[in-house]
Amino acid sequence: MDVLTPADPAASRTGPRPPRPPGPDPRSERRRAAWVGAFLTPALALILLLLLVPFLVTAWRSLFDDNGVTARFVGLSNYVALFTDPDFGRSLLNTVLWVVGTLVLPVLLGLLLAVLTHSVRWGAVARTAVVIPYALSGSATALLWTFLLRTDGAVNQTLSAVGLGGWQQEWLLHWPMNTLVMIVATTWQATGASLILFLVGLQTIPSETIEAARLDGARGLQLFLRIILPQLRPMTVVVVGMSIVNSLKTFDIVWLLTQGGPGTASETLALTMYRQTFTLNRYGYGAAVSVVLTVVVIAASWLYLRRQVRQRTGEAV
Amino acid sequence: MSRPAPTDVVSVFNDNPTWTPGFQAAGRRLRPLSGFRLAPRAVPNVSNYQQIVRMSARTDSTTDLIKWWNGYRLRDIARSGIVADVTDAWDEAARRGWSDDTALRATFTHEGRQYGVPLYKSYFVVFYSRPAFERLGVDVPTTWQQFLDVVDASHAKGITPISAGGATSWESLIWFQQLVNGLDHRFYQDLTAGRASYTDDVCRRAMALWSDLYRRGAFSAPDASTTDLPARFARGTTAMCLYGTWNTGAFLDNGVKAADLGAFLLPPPPGGARSVIVESGVLAVSAHAHKLDAAHAVARAWLDPSVQTAWTGFLRDTSADPGVVPDVGTVRQVAAQVRRDRPTQAIRYWEASPPVLIEGNVQDLSAFMIDPTSSQATKTLSNMQHRADKEWKMWTS
Repeated sequence: MDVLTPADPAASRTGPRPPRPPGPDPRSERRRAAWVGAFLTPALALILLLLLVPFLVTAWRSLFDDNGVTARFVGLSNYVALFTDPDFGRSLLNTVLWVVGTLVLPVLLGLLLAVLTHSVRWGAVARTAVVIPYALSGSATALLWTFLLRTDGAVNQTLSAVGLGGWQQEWLLHWPMNTLVMIVATTWQATGASLILFLVGLQTIPSETIEAARLDGARGLQLFLRIILPQLRPMTVVVVGMSIVNSLKTFDIVWLLTQGGPGTASETLALTMYRQTFTLNRYGYGAAVSVVLTVVVIAASWLYLRRQVRQRTGEAV
Repeated sequence: MSRPAPTDVVSVFNDNPTWTPGFQAAGRRLRPLSGFRLAPRAVPNVSNYQQIVRMSARTDSTTDLIKWWNGYRLRDIARSGIVADVTDAWDEAARRGWSDDTALRATFTHEGRQYGVPLYKSYFVVFYSRPAFERLGVDVPTTWQQFLDVVDASHAKGITPISAGGATSWESLIWFQQLVNGLDHRFYQDLTAGRASYTDDVCRRAMALWSDLYRRGAFSAPDASTTDLPARFARGTTAMCLYGTWNTGAFLDNGVKAADLGAFLLPPPPGGARSVIVESGVLAVSAHAHKLDAAHAVARAWLDPSVQTAWTGFLRDTSADPGVVPDVGTVRQVAAQVRRDRPTQAIRYWEASPPVLIEGNVQDLSAFMIDPTSSQATKTLSNMQHRADKEWKMWTS
């Protein structure tokens, strides 16, 4: 909304300065604040109750050696043990691979497919084919890919049947290949979500903008990079932000395909947390992992969003 | 506040919903003996199940009876005080001649007292496909060399000799426990009690034997699924599988004819003696049960032959009472061989040491199955011992 301010040069051109509007009525200000407070209170209460309190309880539990039956205060020992555990380094590395992989593949593919199929005749068919896997649950996806990727699974059998037996692999048994193929499996499922969001973004670009760019001679890649991509920026912020948070929390597909193994080779931070807490019944140690994971997720989201929001604010000024 | 189960019902919490008809059948036999029948409640996810038991056992929301695991997993909860002493049930079973199995009883013991009664007693045996053996022209092996001959014959004919999964599951312990215990039963007991080292000679020899079997092409891919095994047995594309007798029902329910399924105790490797790995579930009484006396009464009557007949008939597995054998050919074959050979018994590796130590070592063994070389064997044993040093200290602290 445009607001006429005393500094507005247009205002000084149009005649004598108008009288300063009277100051806000304190009573109406208080009433307004009460209304705002009333609207915000349920949301704040829910965040406090469902996010902040459980986080503080988890952080408190991470200071105990707790087997689910007895608990003993051990200070920061769980964190010391975690940061000196060689498995933690692997888990962190895998999590980083997931973040990079799911940023590069589903987001880029989603963007590419959205742009390519947006205005072509049979685009809807292609889009449907990509979006259908998104409707499947993580468990169903994992079962399907287990069937495909096991050593005696469909991929290797197909390779053998077409005379490419030499290309057969133990897909899920060796690092980093197991992590990479699981990222591919996730890409198969998650690209549909990015595609939908980018399509929504494309539909919000005014057709006049595209036409004007075309009249100015912009075509193909130039049109995409100079006109379409900048217009998609708000949607890209959402898609990338969601992708970062989701990849940091990666759990279901890894748990169902490899259980984090062989050994702990394909474990992510979320799996380490689950294994320590629910398999080994080390609730304090598991709580320490979850605190670290929460800090990483919040830090990554904050750093990313702060940068994006600042840039957006800069554009608006 | 939760309420006790009604009148003549004792609740039993377990991690296997498919057991419900079995518990109900056993409950019908328990009713005239103890005055109570069973009301099973199940949570199918093992991790969730353990968590619920641990969290609820000290509250008034616990069930009266709890299914658990023996060995160190039982000691873990016994020393936390959430299960009750049922030594009298074992005494009664011994007095009545139902079960006087001191080796098994030891695995239910913490500080000289027993904290559960055996749900079943499974043996780790080699299941084999009779059609595959017939096609290969081989008999059940009685020596290690004969066993290797069967492996070689299968491999030569393009039949997978042994299905052995475990790349990402507990099953990686199966061949490790079998070979270490088969080579030296006393050493296996010392090893799992923390009195011997994973870097000792017996473990190195066991890993070398395991590597050698891989070199011979004895095993399936390490990510083979046990779920598919019955189909592969029925087709005759896999010859053998070392597994617990509790899996007998899965074979028979999934396409393997009773006449086509055989089982035998694996002969010991050179220098070893006959010994068998035993697995036994636990029926424990919750220390905070609403119906503590009723739960104790059920525990005392659990090993009664009539109850065991109903229960193991449903399971198609062996009972802690050697006199109760279900009418299933394969299980009878195993029971007969155990009676004849009288092998020493060793507790399954999964329950044989502190749980955290086992879980970590199982992951190392899974990694070994992916790369079963001598250098990886050395690294695996070293890691296992390193973990043992740490976890035994934690366990005793």
